[in-house]
Amino acid sequence: MSYQEDLPETSGYSKVSVVISAIVGLALAVVSVWWAAGTAVFYEGLFRVSPTVAGGGIGTDWVVGNTVPWLDFLVALVHAADVLMGVFILLMVFIHWAAFRRLAGQMQRPGEGTTEAVATDGGETE
Amino acid sequence: MTSLDHGKFTRVTTTFHSLLGLDVFLLFFTGYSLTFNDELWWLLSLMGGPQSVTALHRAAGFGLIALIGFWATLMITTDTGRSNFREIVPNGEDIKAFIQDVQFALGSADERHPNAKQFAGGDPDEIPLLSYIGKGVVFIFAAELFLLTISGLLIWSKTGLMQYFGTKTAAMGFVVFHGLLGVIMLMGVMLHIFEHGLHPAFYPVEPKAFIPRELIPETHADGGIEDLTLAPSWSTVSTVMGILTVVGITSVMIASVFDEGYPVPREITIGGGPENLLLTLGINAGIFVLFVGLVLSMYGNLLRVRWERQLEEERSQPTAAADGGHTGSDDD
Repeated sequence: MSYQEDLPETSGYSKVSVVISAIVGLALAVVSVWWAAGTAVFYEGLFRVSPTVAGGGIGTDWVVGNTVPWLDFLVALVHAADVLMGVFILLMVFIHWAAFRRLAGQMQRPGEGTTEAVATDGGETE
Repeated sequence: MTSLDHGKFTRVTTTFHSLLGLDVFLLFFTGYSLTFNDELWWLLSLMGGPQSVTALHRAAGFGLIALIGFWATLMITTDTGRSNFREIVPNGEDIKAFIQDVQFALGSADERHPNAKQFAGGDPDEIPLLSYIGKGVVFIFAAELFLLTISGLLIWSKTGLMQYFGTKTAAMGFVVFHGLLGVIMLMGVMLHIFEHGLHPAFYPVEPKAFIPRELIPETHADGGIEDLTLAPSWSTVSTVMGILTVVGITSVMIASVFDEGYPVPREITIGGGPENLLLTLGINAGIFVLFVGLVLSMYGNLLRVRWERQLEEERSQPTAAADGGHTGSDDD
C-alpha cells in the first residue's frame, strides 16, 4: 500500500461491510433464482425412479445385455486405471503441497522489513 | 515480474494453451454434469438441461478436434515444433527429480532438482523447458485427449456403433468407457491447477504460460526465491485449495468406481439420496477447483494484456529503461 501514501486520503469501505454486502448479494441471487425456478430444483429427487435389476428397471438391459467381452474388459481396465492414476495424482498433490510449504518457508514473510533484498525487475542485489 | 519468472513459451503456444484450457473446461463442465448428474444436477440445469448440455459438449468436441489438428500439424511441419519434441521426452533426470522431490517434501533434500523447478529463468542449460511433471502432463494429456476424441466420435455416431455391434448396450459401453477415461484427465487437471496456481513464488498464477517469450527481456539476474516476499493470503488460500483439490480428486475417483455414467449405469445404483451427501459435496469441490482454474486462466491473460501495455509504454519512451531491459525494438 506504500505507493498510495502520497495520495489524498479517501474514506474507503471496511472489510466487514464488503463481506456482508457480498453475502447479501449472493443470498439475493440464490433466493431470486430459487423463486423463479418455482423451487423445482429441490423437488427433483421426488421424480427420481429407483429401479432395480430384479424389477426390470431402466438399464436392466445394460447389465444383462453388454456381452462384448473386450468392451467389458476395456471398461474394467479403465476402472483400474482411474484408481491407480487417482492414487498417483494424489501422491503428486501431496508432494507438491509439501514442497510449496518448504519453498514458502524460504521466502520473506509478508510485511517483513525488506530493504536491499528486493530484486524486483531483474535488478541485481549484490 | 521477477527474474525467476521468464517467459517460456512462444506466443502461439500460450494462445493455444489458453484455448485448449477453455475448451477442455467446457468439455468437463458439460460431460461431467451428465456423468455425475446426481451430484451436479444444478450445473446440468444451469446449462439448459441434457439436450443443451450434449449440444454444448459436441460443439466443444468439434473445437477440440480442430485444436488437436492444428497443434499436431504445427509440431510436425515446423522446425521449432520438431526440435521442442526432443526437449519434452522424459529421461533419467526426470526420475531423479521425482525422487528428489519426495526427499525435498520430507525435508531430507535441501532443494528441488532442476527438472522439478518451475522457474524458466536461471541458466537455460540447467533448467529444462518443462519440469518432470510438465513432461508427464504433456504425454498423459495427449494420450487421453486422443483416446477421448476417438471414443467421443464413435459415441457421436451411436447408430453407426449399434449397426456395427448389433446391440444398444455395446454402444452404451463406449459412453461408459469415454466417461471413465476422462476421469483420469479430470484428476490430472485438478493437480495442474494446484501446481501452477499455488506455487508460493508465482501465486496466484504463473505468468510464463501466458506471457510469451518474445515479450520478456533475456536478462538473467541471480535473484533467488529467498529474495521474494510471500503473499499474505498464500498460506490460507493454499491450504483451502489443497484440501479442495484432494477432496475433489478423491471424490471423482470414488464416483468413477460406483457411477458408471450417463445414461445407464452397469449396476443400478440409487443416486442423489442423503447417503450420497459426502460424494455430492466432494464432486462439487472438484468442480469448484476447475472453476478456479478457469478464472486463473482468464487472470493470466489479463496479466499478459497489462504486461504488453506496460512494455509498449516503456518502448515509446526511449530513456525509460527502468528494468535493465532493452529499449530498442531489436528484439521484436
